Amino acid sequence: MPLLCLKDATIKFGGLTAVNKVCFDIEKGDLFGLIGPNGAGKTTCFNLITGVYEPTSGDIDFLGTRICGMAPNKIAEIGICRTFQNIRLFGTLSALENVMVGAYLRHKTSLLGGFMLTPAVIKETAELRKKAMELLSVVNLTDVANSRACDLSYGKQRRLEIARAMATDPKLILLDEPAAGMNPYEKDELRSVVFKIRDDYEKTVLLIEHDMKFVMGLCEKIVVLDHGEEIAYGDPSEIRNNPKVIEAYLGEPV
Amino acid sequence: MSLSKILGTRALSVVLAIAFCFGLDAFVTGQLNEYVVRLVMLAGLYVTLSVSLNLINGITGQFSIGHAAFYMVGAYSAGIVSNAIYKTQPLAAPAYMIISMLIGAVFAAIAGLIVGMPSLRLKGDYLAIVTLGFGEIIRIIVLNQNQWGGSYGYAIAPKYQAGWLIWLLAIICIATCRNLLKSAHGLAFLAVREDEIAAQAMGVNVTKTKVVAFIVGAAFAGAAGALFGHMESFVNPDLFKMEVSFLVLTMVVLGGSGSITGSVLAGATLFILPELPRIVSFKMSLGLLLSVLLGIGVLVWMNRKFLEKYHEPDKVKRTLVVAGANIGLVVLAIVVGKLLNNVPVFGTTNYDANKIRYMILAVVLLVIMLLKPTGLLGHHEFSWDWVKRVLNRNKTGEASA
Amino acid sequence: MDLVLHSVGGLSLDFSTLPQQLVNGLVVGAIYALIALGYTMVYGVLRLINFAHGEVFMLGAYTALLSSWVMGFTPDAISKAFKADQPLTSSPLNLVIMLLVAMAVCAIIGAIIEFFAYRPMRNQSRIAALITAIGVSLFLQYAGQLFLPANPPPSISQEVNPYQKVVSFVLSPAQMNAAGDVIKPQMDITVTVGKIVMLVTVVILMLALTYLVRYTKAGRAMRAASHDFDSASLMGINVNRVVTFTFMLGSALAGAGAMMLATFEGTAMHPFFGLQPGVKAFVAAVLGGIGNIPGAVLGGLLMGLAETLVTWIGFSQYKDAVAFVILILILLVRPGGLLGSNKVEKV
Repeated sequence: MPLLCLKDATIKFGGLTAVNKVCFDIEKGDLFGLIGPNGAGKTTCFNLITGVYEPTSGDIDFLGTRICGMAPNKIAEIGICRTFQNIRLFGTLSALENVMVGAYLRHKTSLLGGFMLTPAVIKETAELRKKAMELLSVVNLTDVANSRACDLSYGKQRRLEIARAMATDPKLILLDEPAAGMNPYEKDELRSVVFKIRDDYEKTVLLIEHDMKFVMGLCEKIVVLDHGEEIAYGDPSEIRNNPKVIEAYLGEPV
Repeated sequence: MSLSKILGTRALSVVLAIAFCFGLDAFVTGQLNEYVVRLVMLAGLYVTLSVSLNLINGITGQFSIGHAAFYMVGAYSAGIVSNAIYKTQPLAAPAYMIISMLIGAVFAAIAGLIVGMPSLRLKGDYLAIVTLGFGEIIRIIVLNQNQWGGSYGYAIAPKYQAGWLIWLLAIICIATCRNLLKSAHGLAFLAVREDEIAAQAMGVNVTKTKVVAFIVGAAFAGAAGALFGHMESFVNPDLFKMEVSFLVLTMVVLGGSGSITGSVLAGATLFILPELPRIVSFKMSLGLLLSVLLGIGVLVWMNRKFLEKYHEPDKVKRTLVVAGANIGLVVLAIVVGKLLNNVPVFGTTNYDANKIRYMILAVVLLVIMLLKPTGLLGHHEFSWDWVKRVLNRNKTGEASA
Repeated sequence: MDLVLHSVGGLSLDFSTLPQQLVNGLVVGAIYALIALGYTMVYGVLRLINFAHGEVFMLGAYTALLSSWVMGFTPDAISKAFKADQPLTSSPLNLVIMLLVAMAVCAIIGAIIEFFAYRPMRNQSRIAALITAIGVSLFLQYAGQLFLPANPPPSISQEVNPYQKVVSFVLSPAQMNAAGDVIKPQMDITVTVGKIVMLVTVVILMLALTYLVRYTKAGRAMRAASHDFDSASLMGINVNRVVTFTFMLGSALAGAGAMMLATFEGTAMHPFFGLQPGVKAFVAAVLGGIGNIPGAVLGGLLMGLAETLVTWIGFSQYKDAVAFVILILILLVRPGGLLGSNKVEKV
């Protein structure tokens, strides 16, 4: 059984079909890329998977259960978490606290206990803090654990978003343009982080990226979208030589 | 931190809180001046109100400006139930207080649930207007209920001035909010304040968080209202007008939205504003008033411009210069006022302190917003670590000097 | 009589007075629409609820009062003239002067408020700006309580109003039975000429506003700023001037509304006089879709009608609560308002 399965997923905004009958399967352990020119519907696809939008028609299944129409927090609970293209960190909270919010999803104590600060809550909070510190070290942010998220540099904010998503302990992690605005050195660092997530933490990764070199060097399977339609699917070498993809990116051959 | 140490601190703080309440009670019963007693109790009530509003506004980021409605629901519901019991089965006074507090809290919590619902769909200033409107609707409904005395007012039996209970409530309210912020659960509330969409994507149940914030915040306000009702033993809808909501809002903003310490400090000081005419009954001339207003205006303007341009690394020197300039301006304003007093038109008209109390509130609000929109404390909290840091800094400062 | 008093759900409704009530609602609604325009324009440009707008309205009414006094229509002068058996007469010119003065003074007050209170808050959070607006509103109310004549609440002397003649339109004449008892009372609409003048003035002002916003350079700049404030400033539009202009325009309309309400309805004024119309006009703006100019007019008229209908049904004591009930319902059902569009936050 595939981990995530999109069957004819479609969403229309008024007259605009942003995503049209997109189908693909992601297997456990995949490093899956989603590419396409600007406005192809990649982020909308993410929004469909994470429950921000409900598809107009079609199905999205995760581990065999239909997740269309589920609230985003429920979807996070069953194991899909994401980062955002336009970074959405909790600005005035510290980097550590940001990651702790992600880890909070797996809390076991009750909210009432939180108001009374029972020993169990104190213990759990300490555990969450420990887990968050550990994840910060995965993305090399231990030194800024106590800085406010909004004071971090762009590259660090992107990595912090990944750590925060990782903290929810997802089975599938969606990265929306994780390398945008990073310099080559930061990109190398990011690449190793993504591999670490997949190999050491055994997560499945689905990522959107514009940097072709980055995607081709990282992903094992790639889906290409253009104007909401799926135009190609395959491994990097297939995608590189697919005439439709070349056309979508470079225009029709003269 | 080990478990025994946690429990030890907890026991110590409970003992301290109880001791404080008993001490307060001793102080209050020993007081001959009833008005001082009243002020002490009012301070406690407003601390509860501002800390509970801070939970909704500052911590969860839901902009509610109708807090007086919960206060009112608490006062009336507790009063009605208490009156009913009083008729059939007189109890000891403290028993009434406990029952009333619970009743007030429950009914206000229900009101909080109803007001919290729109917050699931609305944000920012829209939500603000709805909460304000809800407060007005409740007030107008009560105003038209003849069985509750309408605009004349509603008598609540028994009259009982439970200073110790009022402050116990305040302490419980503070402790509840502080506990929340110390636990991981608090982070969910802060996350909703910072970015709802991201919070939800991280699995935070935004709906539950917002509704809980409204319910808990409203319940504390309702409990405070119940105690207020018994303290006054007579309430009317005018006591819960929009101005009261604005006063509590000012406290939260002045203290620094999100800072419990700030809410406590502002609540314990600003509550005096509505009481001002009873404490000081002076008359002001037009000249003096104008010069004070002008002085405040110049003060705000100068501080803005000055602080932008003035970069002095030495903090002590900087503070001294700024404070000196401000004091100078105040003196100047008073001198101008005195001079204006000699001019016939400005000197003769008399203005009652009664009428300027809410103007002071408005000016305080404006000055904070213009000078420091994040409030006096921002998001900061009082902690012993902070005290230690400051003390250590001073020590090292002396050593290096 | 029983024939016209229909009992609906325990309420007695007198349908013979309905047309009159609708017209009354229209008149009140026109004033709400004028005030609502100010809210909607400011919100359109700055995304700020100008809480102090109701206070500008209040100051407009007082300005009209003071200017009528300056023109010689003080209570003293009127009673003196009355005793001397030479009642003062007024000409339409007096009203025009009062209208223009009220509009001009309100425009200046609006610009001052914007400059001193809202401009420094431009880069702060919207919540901070809203709190500032509440502060300005409180300040003006209580400053008004100190400095303005309020006890007893003054009103503009009706001697200044030359349009007091009452006209009556009979819709259906009274019906009597053979014994001469009225079985169906006359159904008519009675209004003063003043109210007709007022409605006409409101229409003229709205047409002028439409022209200003649609076809002038300033109007185009305003629309650009309301579409995207930052881009507008990058495109070389002096946004500060646009904001000042918007505030002046909105405040002037509020001033006109206040002057007409105080003159033709003869309403007594006090420093908190702006609160209720202000809140209702705000609701009207939200009802129509805040930021949307035709929406504000529609919302204002609907608010006026809703209010008089509630009075007509027999719930006059809940008149002031109606606004909020409508507001909460509209925000929950269609947050963008009747003519507005719902904006969804982009993720």
